Amino acid sequence: MASSPTAVISIGSKAPIKKASGPLRLVLTRLGFLVSALFIVVTLSFFLVSVTPGDPAQLIAGPMATAEQITQIRADLGLDEPILTRYVDYLGGLVQGDLGNSYFSKRPIVDELVEKLPATLELVLLSVLFATVVGVAAGAVGAYFKGRLPDKVSRFVTGVFQAIPDFFLGLILIYVVFFLLGLAPAPSGRVGLVETGPGRVTGSYLIDSLLAGDFALFVSAAHHLMLPVLTLGLVYAAYFAKTARSTIGKALNSQQAQFARAMGLPERTVVRYAFAESRTTIVTYAGVIFASLLGGEAIVERVFAWNGIGTWSLQGITKLDLPVVQGMVLVAGAITLIVYTLLDIIVGLLDPRISHA
Amino acid sequence: MKVMRQHTGATVGVSFIVLLLLASLFAPLPYDPKATEGGASLQAPSGAHWFGTDGAGADVFSRVIDAARIDLSLALAGTVLSLVLGVVLGLAASTKGKGSERLVRGLDAFQAFPLLILALALVTLSGNKLYMVVVAIALINIPRYMRLLRSEVLSLRESRFVEAAMAMGASPRRITFRHLLPNVWGVVLVQTSLTIANAIVVIAALSFLGVGVSAPTPSWGGMIRAGAGNMSSGEWWIASFPGLIVLLCVLAFNQLADAIGDTTARSHR
Amino acid sequence: MSDELVLDVRNLAVTIDTPDGVVNPVRGIDLQVHRGEIVGIMGESGCGKSTTVKGILRLLGPNSHVTADTINLVGKADLAHASKKVMESIRGRHIGFVAQNPFGSLNPIYSIERQFYEVQKAHKTGAKKAESREIALSMLKGVGIVAPERVLSGYAHQLSGGMAQRVVIALATTLGPELLFADEPTTGLDATVQAQILDLISGLVRTENRSMVLVTHDLGVIAQYCQRAVVMYQGEIVESGDVMQVMVNPQHEYTKKLIGSVPKAEGRLNVAR
Repeated sequence: MASSPTAVISIGSKAPIKKASGPLRLVLTRLGFLVSALFIVVTLSFFLVSVTPGDPAQLIAGPMATAEQITQIRADLGLDEPILTRYVDYLGGLVQGDLGNSYFSKRPIVDELVEKLPATLELVLLSVLFATVVGVAAGAVGAYFKGRLPDKVSRFVTGVFQAIPDFFLGLILIYVVFFLLGLAPAPSGRVGLVETGPGRVTGSYLIDSLLAGDFALFVSAAHHLMLPVLTLGLVYAAYFAKTARSTIGKALNSQQAQFARAMGLPERTVVRYAFAESRTTIVTYAGVIFASLLGGEAIVERVFAWNGIGTWSLQGITKLDLPVVQGMVLVAGAITLIVYTLLDIIVGLLDPRISHA
Repeated sequence: MKVMRQHTGATVGVSFIVLLLLASLFAPLPYDPKATEGGASLQAPSGAHWFGTDGAGADVFSRVIDAARIDLSLALAGTVLSLVLGVVLGLAASTKGKGSERLVRGLDAFQAFPLLILALALVTLSGNKLYMVVVAIALINIPRYMRLLRSEVLSLRESRFVEAAMAMGASPRRITFRHLLPNVWGVVLVQTSLTIANAIVVIAALSFLGVGVSAPTPSWGGMIRAGAGNMSSGEWWIASFPGLIVLLCVLAFNQLADAIGDTTARSHR
Repeated sequence: MSDELVLDVRNLAVTIDTPDGVVNPVRGIDLQVHRGEIVGIMGESGCGKSTTVKGILRLLGPNSHVTADTINLVGKADLAHASKKVMESIRGRHIGFVAQNPFGSLNPIYSIERQFYEVQKAHKTGAKKAESREIALSMLKGVGIVAPERVLSGYAHQLSGGMAQRVVIALATTLGPELLFADEPTTGLDATVQAQILDLISGLVRTENRSMVLVTHDLGVIAQYCQRAVVMYQGEIVESGDVMQVMVNPQHEYTKKLIGSVPKAEGRLNVAR
């Protein structure tokens, strides 16, 4: 939400694909960019977080702490070292897959990430799926009936959902669907308060509960996913609809569609052509939305008490748990960049103009 | 002004914002927004309390109006900072060449940040200083201005009239100020309207998470936070009215952006 | 050329709803096309010549309306009052359409072979994939493509402009339409290719005794390839008749200016040929 997907749409498409001469060169160029961009993300996040005035040691020690206690804590956390030394240490650990330990739980950041990431991925993936299907459908209707009633309705609804803050929509849904209608469970996280999750195989409750043969738990997990997925899905479907409307609209009015009609191809074939021509944009946009949801959905995790990396990082921030913040930024950034890289490759494969160059 | 006449959505939106601002600055509020009446907490909307009262017994209507002051000023401050720095840096980055190519790559990488998390971290680490909210908004929006300006200016540089100006020996400064800036003004205005909308949401999100504007000063996000728990027990009004105001403000600025966009697109034809 | 009418259009008008109000880019058009005849529609850009042919085929956007007393595709249907289904069966099968910029016409993401097959499928000719391929191969040979197999399995962007327009012509004539609309078919192509394409398309029309409506702003092209010319100005037909007559002895002021504006040498050269 803080990063509206419209602003980042060009990333997936502005790759220097046209310059690359072969698929290998393409992949190498993209990987090179990936590594350097990740390095920038790590460096920027490290310094931004480190140079901001504010003292974690003080916060950890609490208001009653003496100066010595604070100094002691600072030394324990390694905060007394010069910033460049800390940066080099951090990078050194990073290369070995060590993101440091949480100031509070003292557990390795990597362990906590592995534990919490599946909950977020499950939520985000389903939301992207929902947003794509609903958004493309709404956009296609708008494009086809451009300027007429279905388009006007679609644009109005889209405009409202685009303007609604996702956390507020979540609360509205809780009131309407849970409190008034009783169709959704209370916002208690991934399962009910008295239930426990399935044995961990993949980390996805939906899959793991099925693997364990616990159908009741599967239903409960699906039920608990309903409102958060609806919240994120509706907001991002609105963004999607806007892009889908203009992309499909352009394809429907293109000279190519006109020629297809002039050849006597039926309207549904012309629509299929338009979808096919829009597919790279749709795939790109789905990826962009996936990326901006990572981290962007933290606040919605909070609303639904979802125990993923969003809630985890929000807690980390309020406690000035710097390694948690950096870990979150790094993971979200890394997944984002990996998704963009994959997108470039997928888009290249889907588009004969690139793959048959 | 011509923008307004042709676009009812924008007219309604801007009137709403102006009215809200005037009310928050000058109108006598029915109740003290910070006062609490212990006995009258959690009252549903009624003639006495139009928007009901919250858990502490404060009047939701008075608080919603009063919150416009701080929320909208912060949003405007953040937008102005983003606009000024974004345009300057964007123009500076609008040259062809290795350096500016790399800079754009850097901006791309920056978009990979979970920006809300970053904004939250900055404000929290600063010890909850309000100016950091402004800085955070700028940090999120400056790259957007830069990308926008760069792409607009680069395509304008290719255009005939700039080529002609260069051929006639106009200085780079003259080209920038006489030929480029007037032509990117439309898209910059659109982006500015969108930035205000984005800033309002970011501020609300931050105060919803308990950062930035903090109680007892009323803010829309803070009020949504206070009423969040009540949503699952049926007292919808505490969070819904401030949420609705945020929604309406964002809608208003989105409409304004659309209207400006339509107008500039039309005058370009 | 015979006296047998193929297309008879009476009082055709197009209205388009725009955000700034309703406009009438084309009004009161009468147009007759006989078997074996090439009719040229000429006029400056924006005069409505392209809108006229697209209007007959109802290819204009959903915010436009086409009205006419009759658009009689003789022996087939009155297109002025035809349903969408009938229009779909007419396009491609009885009226072929070639536009300018072949890269815009061809589908960029399907192979050329697939695009031929889509046409067969749309008109329910019953041709299977293999059959469609054979037909496409012979069509491509017919438009002078040297390596049709390679073109067939390739994509539009791999072709040169001239080649792509040949493919478009092959597609447009696959089902043997008796009437062809060519809307500025050579605009944007290299000068040397332009003549080749025009020779090709007019040859295809002549050998099969088909008819064509050729829209162009190029008077030289009209003079060289058409038997009859129609001059359009600001959405209306101001003059029509035998090409020689229109070129040598124009009646309407606008036509005189139009012909007068062509550099002398070129005008004389083309008419003389």
